[in-house]
Amino acid sequence: MAGGMDLGTGGKSKKKPLDATINLVPFIDLMAVTISFLIMTAVWTQIGRLQVSNSGGPTDPNQQEEKEKTVPLTLLITDKELKLTAGDVTFDPIPVKRDTRGKIELDKLQAKIKEVRGKLPDQTAITLQTEDNVKYEDLVRIIDECIGSGLPNVSVAAAMG
Amino acid sequence: MPIQTPGKRYGKRLEKSKVFGHGGLAHRSMYADLLITPMVDMFVIIVLFLIANFSATGEVLMMTKDIQLPEAMNVREVEMVPVVMVSNDQVLVSGTVIGRVEDLSREDYLNIPALEEKLREMKKQFEDLHSLAKDDAGGFKGDVNIQGNKDVQFKIIKRVMFSCATAGYNNINFAVMSIGTGKSLEEKTSMLTK
Repeated sequence: MAGGMDLGTGGKSKKKPLDATINLVPFIDLMAVTISFLIMTAVWTQIGRLQVSNSGGPTDPNQQEEKEKTVPLTLLITDKELKLTAGDVTFDPIPVKRDTRGKIELDKLQAKIKEVRGKLPDQTAITLQTEDNVKYEDLVRIIDECIGSGLPNVSVAAAMG
Repeated sequence: MPIQTPGKRYGKRLEKSKVFGHGGLAHRSMYADLLITPMVDMFVIIVLFLIANFSATGEVLMMTKDIQLPEAMNVREVEMVPVVMVSNDQVLVSGTVIGRVEDLSREDYLNIPALEEKLREMKKQFEDLHSLAKDDAGGFKGDVNIQGNKDVQFKIIKRVMFSCATAGYNNINFAVMSIGTGKSLEEKTSMLTK
């Protein structure tokens, strides 16, 4: 008896021993094959997508009712400042500041979008009017910020003038 | 010469010495047992880690040294659709060079005719293939991925976007490196609604 369990080692009776050994070799083979397959097919870079639309594209007629509860929200992006306009109201321009890694700081923009969303909870669309010399990385960061702040319908347009 | 047990071998004089030779000690077995349990444990952990990281969609975008993707948090899962690659030097579609960025930034047109033509051709190919297969469900949706280098100016991206829209690809997606929680936008929104 070992720990209250009969291992079948003692006694005179011809019982089969209960402590059978599992053959681990096929198990290890299977593991080795699985690991090789998974390593070969592994994707180490996590890539995603940000969906945008071209400004001025076709509009859904069902959205007409929703439009009454929202205003045209526009963000003018230049390399020096960001200017948010909600309907007729134009907010103070936000100067573009960058951190040590050269990334654009968007805390003030986030606060302003939250302010607008507080007044217009149904607002989901924003148009980004971007100047030609704006870097693609900055545009992507602003789109990401808008989506994160609850404006998933982002349209991108070229700035006039 | 017979095969000997690995280890120190003394000369004939010391071979039977109780101190140096094998005279006093019992012969060690030539077979060493491998410890299987930690190895199996390690294999299980590796398999679980790799399965957790496994992506069924595979590598949709071809990563090159010339294109460093910008980073974003609120992303959706990338799909298998045509990819327009914009590096600092050139614009490519499916490995075909469309034009040089230097030339494109000098021109004042809104579209890129070569890109538009190539995308139209790809759209026609897709539609022909699906009409032959009588696949109505998988019709043309107009999705396109733009894989742009983070330092490219919007002037080029604007022309690429306009060309895509003109060719019928209206659902434009910017390919980005996913950072943060690792959860997709769909998962985040479903968690918020619960």
